[in-house]
Amino acid sequence: MITFYSKRILPTAFCVATMLFMVSTGLEAQNAARPRPVRPPVTVGSQGAMPEHTKFTESQIESGGGLFLQNCAFCHGKDAGGGESGPDLTRSKLVASDKDGEAIGVVVRNGRADKGMPKFNLPDSEVLNLVAFIHSQQDKAMSQTGNRKGVEESDLQTGNAEAGRRYFEGAGGCTKCHSATTLAGVATRYTGLQLEEQMLYPRNVKSTVTVKTHSGKTFSGTLEYQDEFTIGLKDASGAYFSWPAATITFKVDRPVEEHVTAMTKYTDDDIHNVLAYIQTLK
Amino acid sequence: MSWMRFARVLTILTGTAALAVSSVAQGVTDEMLKHPPRDSWPTFHGDYTGRRHSPLTEINPGNVANMTLEWTFQTQQNGSVKATPILVDGIMYFTTPDNVWAIDARSGHTLWHYIAPPNKAFHIGQRGVSMYKDKIYYMSSDAHLLAMEAKTGKVLWDVVVADSNKGQWATMAPLIVNNHVLVGASGDFDNLQGFLRAIDPETGATQWNWFATPPVGTPKTTSGGNIWMTGTYDPDLNLVYFGTGNPTPVLNGKGRPGDNLYTCSIVAINPDTGKLAWAFQPSPHDTHDWDAVEIPVIVDAPFGGVQRKLLMQASRNGYFFVLDRTTGKNLVTTNFGLVNWTLGVDKEGRPIPNPAKEPAPDGRLIAPDEGGMTNYRSPSFDPKTGLFIVSASPSFSLYFSKPADGAYGWAGADYGLWSKGVLEAIDYKTGKARWSHELGQRAGSGVMTTASGLTFTGDSSGNFLALDTATGKTLWHANAGGSIGSTPITYELDGHQVVVTSAGSVLYAWKLPPSLTVNSKSAPSSK
Repeated sequence: MITFYSKRILPTAFCVATMLFMVSTGLEAQNAARPRPVRPPVTVGSQGAMPEHTKFTESQIESGGGLFLQNCAFCHGKDAGGGESGPDLTRSKLVASDKDGEAIGVVVRNGRADKGMPKFNLPDSEVLNLVAFIHSQQDKAMSQTGNRKGVEESDLQTGNAEAGRRYFEGAGGCTKCHSATTLAGVATRYTGLQLEEQMLYPRNVKSTVTVKTHSGKTFSGTLEYQDEFTIGLKDASGAYFSWPAATITFKVDRPVEEHVTAMTKYTDDDIHNVLAYIQTLK
Repeated sequence: MSWMRFARVLTILTGTAALAVSSVAQGVTDEMLKHPPRDSWPTFHGDYTGRRHSPLTEINPGNVANMTLEWTFQTQQNGSVKATPILVDGIMYFTTPDNVWAIDARSGHTLWHYIAPPNKAFHIGQRGVSMYKDKIYYMSSDAHLLAMEAKTGKVLWDVVVADSNKGQWATMAPLIVNNHVLVGASGDFDNLQGFLRAIDPETGATQWNWFATPPVGTPKTTSGGNIWMTGTYDPDLNLVYFGTGNPTPVLNGKGRPGDNLYTCSIVAINPDTGKLAWAFQPSPHDTHDWDAVEIPVIVDAPFGGVQRKLLMQASRNGYFFVLDRTTGKNLVTTNFGLVNWTLGVDKEGRPIPNPAKEPAPDGRLIAPDEGGMTNYRSPSFDPKTGLFIVSASPSFSLYFSKPADGAYGWAGADYGLWSKGVLEAIDYKTGKARWSHELGQRAGSGVMTTASGLTFTGDSSGNFLALDTATGKTLWHANAGGSIGSTPITYELDGHQVVVTSAGSVLYAWKLPPSLTVNSKSAPSSK
């Protein structure tokens, strides 16, 4: 088996990476397609309007609290406010958009394998009780005033945008793939912590792969699956192909890996400065 | 203590099972714990050392490619199996939270199934049961220790180890040493005192407690230091070794100045008295949830030209340590992946935390992430190659903490940015990796090695892997179709080697096809 990885980044890969940096995740896109009250993006917190959802009974909430403690609390915290590896659900856009479990239920049942969340095979009534508890926790958190636990956009304003621009264009090497033009509007699509997370390591960016078979045929497309033994890609028409990795030569381009390299170099000041600069790209 | 809590025991004792189980079965003796027979895996680690190294050689690098499925066992539960099964007298005992099974290791069929009464404790995982004489010892999620009749699963007694309503619960398989069942509790979300407790295996009475931290509320001190995992034992020194959990509040260290002993520590304790012999602290004043509960592995091997009694740990904070286990003196400290939170290593071999990398209101970029460079999954030590093999997760995350987060429980927030999985084979003498094997994303499988030169583990795509221990090259794989959350075991049954793995909620038993083992000895060795 010959495996080769290139440091060189293909022009097409630039485009894919940049495009994916700009578009929302699939899940967000689905939610956006569903009619619901217009809410400001990301800002779920004391500053937002109260979410609208089905009214749940006290016994549903109480029963959901018990289930939450058993199944969810280790990662999402006892109060759903975030904990070991799981995000703060009281700030979740998905929770805020959910009416009666149609969005939360999908995540509970299917999990989020890409983020390490397992799926839970619970009866519908129990899922609904969980939904009731999560909504009640979000309502409680959002009706708080004053300093909230967790990360507010205002916490992330310690950088210097001009220093950030210099780092972006200079030592950071960001302009190898990006420019103010290609990133225009990014600070409108994302804000606060979500913008910082996307800046440091954009999620759901597809890599591209080129496969050469023994018979000499070449296939290119987005890398859909890779382990030690199998390579799978989707070509431009959306058709899926896979091969035993040992029977082909293949070349994977992962432009997003540049973000991992960047994280080995950033100081915390660099991060805050670049974030301040990125925040100007509205 | 309640004599019998309400419990449902499904007993399906059939005539076939009674035949399969030897009538001379005597359960687990002290001798078995010290020198596990080939036809057993009698404890969480397989033996007292925690090396997860088996002397079995029937399955070897030359024939492992032919290894084939013998049976599977469907737990039909939510969540994945995180337990290490134990195997005694041809019967396998294992768990998921609130469930204990005894199954026939020949066929994989159920002998009995215990279901715990409903409880509101955390159900993050259950690492397995332990056995002594004719009893099974099970830590329930709500931190009770239950003694069960091994033959039937009947609960003989049930004692409360910690109050789960206050936030201490349990995941561990107890460590059985001499006449003691050694247990601790788990938990991060409340400021609680970590402890190790010795319990009488016959009566359930407490023999002694060792506390990791001062009583909660003592000014300027830490709480926490929970014992999450099963320790190891050196019968010659008569010392047990346990890792302790992180301090609390977790991400905010301002109210707990200093090293916060004995949190994030490896402690050596006399099992008969509960007295501390020595302690070594991998993470002084931790503010990143990097407990040091990863397995303290016992190895007797040359170091600096002389045979030494060593202890090794690949710690969650990204550092690999070799200690002299008689004294606790540090011999090697190296990182086994990128770390960015220290100012170096002090003269005692402890990493020096960089105060600028404590969680802050505007965030700090930290490597590794909170899940750590490794976690509960067991590593393995292979004596022939001198390799300490650990499933590692190089990673980055953002850590936040601000006054509004308070000084209770988690007291901040952290967000994983990126991670991957790689199996690192570390030369214990230098702390440097001799080979690395990519596993894709962060992988959940532990590691087992065998004397034939094989390393068993799994990757993040659900592939069970058998590698050549000398080189890290893959010799066998099978995709289990689920995430792997446990560590493989192996034993001999009816004269032939069996490897047991799990993925998702299913157990898999593997062996060589009969055509390849026809010349092996075939006398049943457990009868």
